[in-house]
Amino acid sequence: MNVEEFVKAFGGRFPEAEVRVSENKQPHPKRRVWVEIDREKFHDAMKFIKELDPKAQFSIIIARDAGETLEAKYHMELFWEEGESLSLVIGTSVPKENPKLPTVTDVFPSALPYEREVQEFLGLFFDGIPDPRRLFLPDDFPEGVYPLRLDDTGIKPEMVKNAGHPYRIGGAKK
Amino acid sequence: MNLLYTTLGFIGIYLYVSFASLLWEGIDRKLVARMQRRMGPPLLQPFYDFLKMVSKESIIPRDSNKLFELAPVFALAAAIALLAYTPLGFGPLFGTRGDIILFIYLLTLIGFIRVLGAASSGSPYAQIGAQREMIILVSREAPMMLGIFTIMWRIRDLGVSKPFSLRALYEHNIWEIGTPMSIIGALILLFVFMAWLASEIEVGFFDIPEAETELAEGTMAEYSGRHLALFELANAIKAFVSASLVVAVFFPWGVSGYLGLTGLPAVIADLLFHTLKVFAVLFVSMSIFRAVSGRLRITQAVNMFWTRLLPASIVGALLLVIDTLGVIA
Amino acid sequence: MTGKLEYWVKVPVGPIHPALEEPEKFIITIDGERIINVDVKLGYNLRGIEWIAMRRNYIQILYLAERMCGICSFSHNHTYSRAVEEMAGIEVPERAEYIRVIVGELERIHSHLLNLGVVGHAIGYDTVLHLSWLARERVMDILEAMGGNRVNYAVNMIGGVRRDIEEKHVRAITDMIEYYREEVMPKIEEVFLYDPTVEARLRDSGVIPKRIAVEYSAQGPTARGSGVKKDVRYNERLGVYPDLGVKPITPKEFTGIVKGDVFDRMVVRVGEVWQSMELIERAIDQMPEGKIKAVPKDNALLFQLKKAEGEGIGRYEAPRGELIHYVMAEKGRDGPARWKMREPTFPNLFAIARALVGEQVADVPVAIASIDPCLSCTDRVAVVDANTGKKTVLTEKDLLKLSIEKTKDLNPKIRGKPEVVGIGCPRGDVL
Repeated sequence: MNVEEFVKAFGGRFPEAEVRVSENKQPHPKRRVWVEIDREKFHDAMKFIKELDPKAQFSIIIARDAGETLEAKYHMELFWEEGESLSLVIGTSVPKENPKLPTVTDVFPSALPYEREVQEFLGLFFDGIPDPRRLFLPDDFPEGVYPLRLDDTGIKPEMVKNAGHPYRIGGAKK
Repeated sequence: MNLLYTTLGFIGIYLYVSFASLLWEGIDRKLVARMQRRMGPPLLQPFYDFLKMVSKESIIPRDSNKLFELAPVFALAAAIALLAYTPLGFGPLFGTRGDIILFIYLLTLIGFIRVLGAASSGSPYAQIGAQREMIILVSREAPMMLGIFTIMWRIRDLGVSKPFSLRALYEHNIWEIGTPMSIIGALILLFVFMAWLASEIEVGFFDIPEAETELAEGTMAEYSGRHLALFELANAIKAFVSASLVVAVFFPWGVSGYLGLTGLPAVIADLLFHTLKVFAVLFVSMSIFRAVSGRLRITQAVNMFWTRLLPASIVGALLLVIDTLGVIA
Repeated sequence: MTGKLEYWVKVPVGPIHPALEEPEKFIITIDGERIINVDVKLGYNLRGIEWIAMRRNYIQILYLAERMCGICSFSHNHTYSRAVEEMAGIEVPERAEYIRVIVGELERIHSHLLNLGVVGHAIGYDTVLHLSWLARERVMDILEAMGGNRVNYAVNMIGGVRRDIEEKHVRAITDMIEYYREEVMPKIEEVFLYDPTVEARLRDSGVIPKRIAVEYSAQGPTARGSGVKKDVRYNERLGVYPDLGVKPITPKEFTGIVKGDVFDRMVVRVGEVWQSMELIERAIDQMPEGKIKAVPKDNALLFQLKKAEGEGIGRYEAPRGELIHYVMAEKGRDGPARWKMREPTFPNLFAIARALVGEQVADVPVAIASIDPCLSCTDRVAVVDANTGKKTVLTEKDLLKLSIEKTKDLNPKIRGKPEVVGIGCPRGDVL
């Protein structure tokens, strides 16, 4: 299945989704499909992708603090068995008051570590995640601080002052 | 008076063997390093290590029990006691009829004490190491014991003063029989003994209980300072003694006869020549083996003992036995 | 005593363990020698690179990306450059593409030789380690001659490369390929394809079946060892790679069977060293003359990037597998609004953790080594400061004070009053 067929199939199933195709300027231009979809339809879309290609490879979750909302983009590689593969980025966003997304670990089991990473770094939580423990951050890292948030739940300047040294010398300035 | 001399001789032997075995460790490391195209540590590195470790603080794990501290002392004591029954170019100092059994017992005891020490350290790495050491321990003895008892039994027929003693090996040896069957049998047993020696000193295929990359030194994981130093010394002596057994069984010839020496000079000449032979045996069984092989899995190693070495040992023993019966002329 | 006895033992492998080159932690539950469960904990090497990058501009991030990892330092800034180029629509000169191929494949050779040695060490076969690392010195010398450093050769630039390949480099590379062809590779093949010890240890250990490899999105040689025909250079039609004829390598071409064990992964690595040498030769032959940078001046480039808007993804087959970088630009900002990367070790770790269940403890080090984990790549994300929670932690000063008190208890005659010297972050509020 090539890019056009995929866009047609996906657009037919989810007409409200915003689909665009980009192309870069390499010697052999590579086209990518970028999809924006609502949180409610997101899980269905992932399921549909899995139906289209049962061997779809899950690459990454790119989560971002976009001011009022939290964005999450999932990169996937489809149809890699047929030579040139299809590079798909499917994105969604959630409001900060209710930062919840349905987990996709039931569709793509390999998404679990990425979801754990996003949970601890951006405070974007996943409903039904089978293993909500921390992955990267130490166990005694304070609750409610999400290092990659840009608002006041992010890293505060005084935390940075002694970063790299676990024990402050002289104590924090109050 | 005789006892006094024997005791003095024993102390001398202990000092000499400690020196020679640590020296061999240095030579081994240098040789292996050259085989791997490295420079290697200085020749006397094991001595520096030993002295440094003796002067270091020994850390005792919280979960360990008394045996943890006692085990290195026991191990070294067993190694020293073993020296009294080790053929070193001449018959053992305290040798007597049937001392071969005591010898094997003491040799196994060192391994067993290591297991005890590791099991009482409370570390999971050491405990897995102890399990593995125990499994190897029971597997490796069978082929070796079969071989050595067959040889002992065979040379008894040649007329020795004390049957089943290690001194008998210096009166007659297995090559003297000279029939083709016995030579083939002896060669097979030599191979079995070399493999046993490698497993006794835990190199190459059999570096399983201490597996550095798997278990972080396994049985020795929690030992440090003085306790580790004692264990290292006991292990070095054990390697020397195990190789001595192989040398005494298969290459017992001395040089004093050719040089026409008697008395103390003869003993010293034989001891030095024996040391050379031990180094040669260890070079094959330890250095080369270590340089050209990796570690097996525990199941593969046990399999090797029971399905390769034990049958080989049985075949070798049968060849020797058939030879006496005169079934095939 | 209530309940049933627990026979299972939990063995922590890591954070510091002789089998691991870098800090990570596997908590392994074992029953005798058999593994029942494997849990992974990461983050012992967190440096907060994504957070640091929020305060850097596009060109400064190149150097930050390069220092994520020593072994695949070229891969990181290569992939980052591709992501920025895609975002800003910069076209890379063709000669630069070829230079990227050559340096990338040289890096692949050195990384694979390194890993072959590490696997030898993991099974206690130290001779393999020493000799393969000795052979690796040759390619390191070439990289040093080209980039000035054994690692971090700083070859890439956004929209091209910073260093050209001259005639003397080409000669040195040809000599090196000759040396590897004639002297090194036959020995390596002898060891990893035919040596009985190596085969006994590597066959049937750490098996990742094809189904698991696909399900857990394993990458690189780990996936290809399980028969998954996936290679970003091939699937993405990356740069000039299609002109050079790159194909995913699976053990099928060498041994005829695919089992997905450690042995197969090593076979793939050996095959890829061969493949890399061929690619380098072809790239040298086909390389055109021309300029090597799209925008010669860095400040002009930065100005162009400042005006750019959009997002881009760069993908590259690093020696360990698919590396992916994402860059999002905001107009008027001289650094990316979001820079995110994913390293091949990350999915591979979880695939191998899943595959280890049911295996023996003896296979753990070799299985972990066989995916060639690069933890400093994987642990990169957040800011580290463990001491902002409610826990009271004795600070360095307190410890020093206690220590002084104890010394005075023992010997009241001692006078000296030591100070905290030289420890701690220079930005801290004491020093």
